[in-house]
Amino acid sequence: MTFSSFRYLCKQGFKNMVGNRLMSVASIGVLTACIAIIGVASLLSLNVNSFVTFLGGKSEIVVYVKDIETDIAWQDMTEEERTGVDTRLAERVMAVENGINATPNINTVKYVSKQDALNEQMEQMGDYSYLLEDFAAQRDIYPASFRVTVKDLELIGQTAEDLTAIDGVDFCVTSQSLSNVLLNLRLGVNVASIGLVAVLVLVSLVVIANTIRLTVFARRKEINIMKFVGATNAFIRLPFLVEGMLVGLISAVLAFGIISGGYVALLNYLTSEGANVMGVLSFQLVAYNKIWYMLLGGFVLSGVVVGGLGSATSIRKHLKV
Amino acid sequence: MIKFKGVKKVYPGGIVALHDVDLEIKKGEFVFVLGHSGAGKSTFLKLILHEETATEGVVTVNGYNLSKIKQKDIPYMRRGLGVVFQDFRLIPTMTAYENVAFAMRVTNIPEREIKKRVPYVLNLVGLAHKAKSFPPELSGGEQQRVALARALVHSPPIIIADEPTGNIDPELSVEIMELLKAINSVGTTVVVVTHEHDLAQRFNKRMINIENGTVVADSNAGAEVNGYDI
Repeated sequence: MTFSSFRYLCKQGFKNMVGNRLMSVASIGVLTACIAIIGVASLLSLNVNSFVTFLGGKSEIVVYVKDIETDIAWQDMTEEERTGVDTRLAERVMAVENGINATPNINTVKYVSKQDALNEQMEQMGDYSYLLEDFAAQRDIYPASFRVTVKDLELIGQTAEDLTAIDGVDFCVTSQSLSNVLLNLRLGVNVASIGLVAVLVLVSLVVIANTIRLTVFARRKEINIMKFVGATNAFIRLPFLVEGMLVGLISAVLAFGIISGGYVALLNYLTSEGANVMGVLSFQLVAYNKIWYMLLGGFVLSGVVVGGLGSATSIRKHLKV
Repeated sequence: MIKFKGVKKVYPGGIVALHDVDLEIKKGEFVFVLGHSGAGKSTFLKLILHEETATEGVVTVNGYNLSKIKQKDIPYMRRGLGVVFQDFRLIPTMTAYENVAFAMRVTNIPEREIKKRVPYVLNLVGLAHKAKSFPPELSGGEQQRVALARALVHSPPIIIADEPTGNIDPELSVEIMELLKAINSVGTTVVVVTHEHDLAQRFNKRMINIENGTVVADSNAGAEVNGYDI
């Protein structure tokens, strides 16, 4: 196809859209709504994923180090015996830390000594901390531990098992149920979003196909003449494809404007009045400047592809001459 | 150019539109295909245009065997034909110029070529002054000439005119036929499908008579081939 033919056909597609303006406006309206809802579903999914990753970073596995077994209680030991126990425990802690660092899916590792654990507990008990004072001398009231965060929340169960198997580890505690809730939430939102997107893409296809079908019907004689003067199917199809793609493109740009405006307004609200709500979790929605190009690209691509596909399906019948 | 060999066409429902048709139209010939309404002329035309396919036999047009032609080759086969339809089939929203240019555009001819060729062909059919008129603003004869210009514009080796005088006044009919004769005189094969025996007899050309779906007479007598030997 020559450039002048291509330009002529694109112009024809634009003319079709303008000539068929009532239907085009209606289609653009419905399609804009569909793409905007797809955008909302995508943003929701994106933020839930980000939220789960954020909480995943906070989900800890507490790895408790086995205490050194002795026949004598700590308070009854001589200074020399205590030093010996401490040395053996330090060696065990070091071995466990090396084991943790060699385990896959580990993000951060923080050591909490027996004394740190006791102090934390006393701090949490506030005015009632005196209840623990008598136990403080016993030293073995809290074991030494490591607080480990993971990279991939989905693998937290497996990671906990790996950590438990390290020599010198007594047991591990994970927030497995919370992780499961978060993972199920993410799965649910993603599945619902994909389902919603699939339905809306189908609706958009039907809307575009109907618009183009009307144009094709209005121009069926012209198509017939084109066939008899030797036009190829590609030549006949192009103006309709251009029309469908233009309708899709305009809808995508409009939907992008609506969704961008809404999202920026929501971000502004959350950083001012809503700050208290989100501040509790210190979680922030995904920043607009990190996603606008993805939104625009996704919208334009889906609009143009859906527009093109919708057109292609509606003219097939009229090409069989 | 056009060859029918043992052609039979049966429509769904068992209606036999054509049967036992054997004929050949050679390069440079001027042929009238005559017959009453329902005789099979339209089916004859549809088979040449590949609007329908033969139930039996072989139809060959410009070297294309239409029983075996690939879908992608159909447009190229049709570009070798210039068809003037009985109902003109002009696009009412396009000017006379645009209607003629349209036939060139679909064959991907560059715009500068179109700008040279279309005024020339419109002038040839005597419609240069009506280039900017839309079909509803033109008389039947003028519309017929636009249709003829559209059929001619890409210089096809075969021109097929379906009842070219059916929708116009008798005096304009002769004018159109003279135009077709002039086109034939430069070597273009012309096939005129008509039911008007009287009009055909005025010209000393080959006449193929179709009755009840078969060729009942093929008068080659007096036929002349312009520029070529039969």
